[in-house]
Amino acid sequence: MSLRQLLLRLPCYLGASGPRRGPLDTISSVVSWRAQSSRSPAHWNQVVSDAEKIVGYPTSFMSLRCLLSDELSNIAMQVRKLVGTQHPLLTTARGLVHDSQNNLQLRGLVVLLISKAAGPSSVNASCQSYDMVSGIYSCQRSLAEITELIHTALLVHRGIVNLDELQSSDGPLKDMQFGNKIAILSGDFLLANACNGLALLQNTKVVELLASALMDLVQGVYHENSTSAKENHITDDIGILTWKKQTFLSHGALLAKSCQAAMELAKHDAEVQDMAFQYGKHMAMSHKINSDLQPFIKEKTSDSLTFNLNSAPVVLHQEFLGRDLWIKQIREAQRKGRLDYAKLRETINAGKGVTSAIDLCRYHGNKALEALESFPPSEARTALENIVFAVTRFS
Amino acid sequence: MASCWWRWRRGCSWRPAARSPGPGSLGRAGLSGLRAAAAAAARAQVRRRGLRMSQVSYFNLVKSLTSAFPNMYSISRFHHMTPAVCCCSKTRSGEKYTDPFNLGWRDLKGLYEDIRKELFISTTELKEMCEYYFDGKGKAFRPIIVVLMARACNIHHNNSRNVQASQRAIALIAEMIHTASLVHDDVIDDASSRRGKHTVNKIWGEKKAVLAGDLILSAASIALARIGNTTVVSILTQVIEDLVRGEFLQLGSKENENERFAHYLEKTFKKTASLIANSCKAVSVLGCPDPVVHEIAYQYGKNVGLAFQLIDDVLDFTSCSDRMGKPTSADLKLGLATGPVLFACQQFPEMNAMIMRRFSSPGDVDRARQYVLQSDGVQQTTYLAQRYCREAVREISKLRPSPERDALIQLSEIVLTRDK
Repeated sequence: MSLRQLLLRLPCYLGASGPRRGPLDTISSVVSWRAQSSRSPAHWNQVVSDAEKIVGYPTSFMSLRCLLSDELSNIAMQVRKLVGTQHPLLTTARGLVHDSQNNLQLRGLVVLLISKAAGPSSVNASCQSYDMVSGIYSCQRSLAEITELIHTALLVHRGIVNLDELQSSDGPLKDMQFGNKIAILSGDFLLANACNGLALLQNTKVVELLASALMDLVQGVYHENSTSAKENHITDDIGILTWKKQTFLSHGALLAKSCQAAMELAKHDAEVQDMAFQYGKHMAMSHKINSDLQPFIKEKTSDSLTFNLNSAPVVLHQEFLGRDLWIKQIREAQRKGRLDYAKLRETINAGKGVTSAIDLCRYHGNKALEALESFPPSEARTALENIVFAVTRFS
Repeated sequence: MASCWWRWRRGCSWRPAARSPGPGSLGRAGLSGLRAAAAAAARAQVRRRGLRMSQVSYFNLVKSLTSAFPNMYSISRFHHMTPAVCCCSKTRSGEKYTDPFNLGWRDLKGLYEDIRKELFISTTELKEMCEYYFDGKGKAFRPIIVVLMARACNIHHNNSRNVQASQRAIALIAEMIHTASLVHDDVIDDASSRRGKHTVNKIWGEKKAVLAGDLILSAASIALARIGNTTVVSILTQVIEDLVRGEFLQLGSKENENERFAHYLEKTFKKTASLIANSCKAVSVLGCPDPVVHEIAYQYGKNVGLAFQLIDDVLDFTSCSDRMGKPTSADLKLGLATGPVLFACQQFPEMNAMIMRRFSSPGDVDRARQYVLQSDGVQQTTYLAQRYCREAVREISKLRPSPERDALIQLSEIVLTRDK
C-alpha cells in the first residue's frame, strides 16, 4: 500500500471531524493543507512550499511512514479503537495528519536545507558524491527522517494520561489505560526506528549527538509537564533565563544537534558544525516564541481562546511586574475559580510582555541569520533565511 | 524448530491413555512399538550427532534422554541438575569452583554507581525516578552474564585475563536498556510493585514514568555511542527494536493452537532472550575477531535467555508472592497465555475458550491456574527450559576452558533451579 493511499484512509480511521478534505492526488494539495494553519497563511505556505521544492519532496509525513507500514498496521487499528474516547493520543494522531500549527513538521525540512546549503565538505571531497540527490547525501536524508521520528515519538509520549487524576468527564478508565498503552508502544516503536536508523548511519558521533538531543528533549518535556496549569493557575516562578534554558531543551536541542549531525555526516569541520548548531538553536527558539505570541497578536480572537501561562510573553510580563503583582492580576482575572483568559490577555497586552517577546523573537532570528552568513549563498540558504523572516514577521 | 517439535507433542502424551496420535505425526504404527524403535534410533543419533534438537524429533528425544538419564523422567523444578550434563572437558586450571555471581561481581563493583553517573540529570525528581531501580537490589543477572562472557571470550582469544572498559560498558548498557523497558512495561501493565517496592508509575504517575524510561534509554544510547564501535551499536539497537516488537506481539494473539506456541516463543525471544544474546555477542565482538566465537556467544545468550523466561513463567504459577517481589498469576491476570498454560491446554481443551478471551471473564484466572497445576504444564515448560540450557552449555563448551566459562555453564543451571 503506498503512503498516499494510506494517508487517504487515515482521516476516516481517526474519525476526522471538520471540513471534508478532497482526495490527495497531487503533492501540492498536501501543501495546501497548511492553509488551515493560523499563521499568515499565504506567505508561510509559500516559504515552505519553495523550500520543499529545493529539497525535492514534501517532508510532512516522514515520521508516519514507519507507523503506517503494513507490517505493523496494528498501530493504525489500535489508534482507531480510541475514536470516541478522550485520550490525548487521538488528538496527537489527528494533528500529525492534519497539519496544525504546533505540529508543523519543520525539523526535517530544515535539516535537509542546511545539508544542501553546506554542500559537500571542501576537505573531504572524496566522500560519496555519487550518493547525492538534489545536493543532499542519502545519509543526511535519513538523518532528517530520524529527527522527525524522535520529535513525533515524544509528541506521542507527551499525551500519556495520569490515571489517578482522571475525572468522570474523561470517560471510562479502561479507555484511558488502553490509550496509554498504545501511546507508549507507538512512541517506543518510533524511537526504536530512530535508533535503528542511527545505527545504519555507521557514525557513532552522530549517534551520540542525537541520543543526547533525545535526553535534552525528554528533560524539556518533563519541565513542560511540571509547570503546566496548577491549582489556581499559579505557575512556578521562573524568570526568562530559566525559560530560555527549558525551551532550549524542549524545542531547540533536537533541531540544533540534528543540524550539527548533518554537518558531521558530510565531514564538515567543527566551525561549520557549530554554525549549523547555532542556526538550528536560534531558529527553533524564535519559532517557539512566535508560536507563543499567536494568542496575543491575532486580531480576531475568540474570548474562549486560552494560552499557556508559561509562554514567553507571559513569563516576560511577570518578570517586568514582579511576582506579587502578577499573582494579584491572576486572582483578579479569576471568576468563580475559573480563569478569564480574555481579561488576562488584555492585562498582558497592556504591559511590556508582548513587545519584549517580539524583540526576543527577532533577537534569535538575527542570531540565526548571522549563523547562516558563513554558508555560501545558494537557493537553500535563501530558503533558510526566508524561514527566519517568516517566523519573525509580526505585521 | 519449535513448530515441528510442537506437532510431535500434540501426538504424544505423558499419560498413556490420554489421546490417540494425530494424523501425520506417528503414522499407523502402534505407540509402544514405535517408541522402542524410535528410542534405539534416537540413541544412535544422539551419540553420533550430539543433541541437535532440530534433527531429533521431540518424542525420540524424550525417550532417548529418559533412557540415558533415568532420574530425569519425573521432571520437577526441584530436580537438581548435576554438572556432568554434558560430556566436555572440565577446567584444567584446578581453581576452586566458585559461585558465578561472586566471580562476575569482581568486575561489576561500582556497577550501579557508574550507571547513576550516566544519568547526568539536573532535576532532582527526575534523577530520583531514573535512579530508582539502580539501587543495587536487582539480580544484575544480565551484567553478570555479560562480564563472564567477556572474560571467557578474551581468554579464548588470547588468554587475556582482562575485561576491557568497553566490555564492562556493555554490562551497564544492557542493564540500563533492561530497566528502561521494565519501567515502560510497568506502565503498560499498570503494575503496582516490582522487586519488593512500588513501581515508578504508582509513585510519580504514568506521564513521568514514561519520560523516565525514555531518559534511561537515551543515557544508554549515549554510553553505547561512546564505545565508538559501529558494529556494537548495530547489535544493541537491534535489541531496542526487538523489545518493542515483543510488546506488540504480546498485544496481539493467535487463534490457531499451533501458531500460539511459536508466537509465544517468538515473543519470549524478543522480550527477554534478545537482550542477553545480543549483549553476549557485543562483548565477544569487542574481545575477539573470530565470527565463530560471536555466534557461540549469541547462541549461549539466546538459549539461556529463553530458559530464563520460561522458568520465570513457571514461577508465576508455582511461587508465592513474597519471594518474587511481584504478585503471581500476574501473567494470567494480564491475559497472557504462557508456556504452562499452553501445555495445560493440550490436556484440558476447555482452556481454549479462556485463552481466546484472555482470561477476562470472572473466575477465569483461578480456573486456569487450577488447570495448570493439575496438568503437567509446569513440568513440560521446565523440561523445555532444560533443553535450552543444555543447548547453551553445548555451545559455550566450545570455548577454551576457563573459570568464567565454567561459571557460565553453572549459571545456566542456576537459571533452572532458581526460585525467585
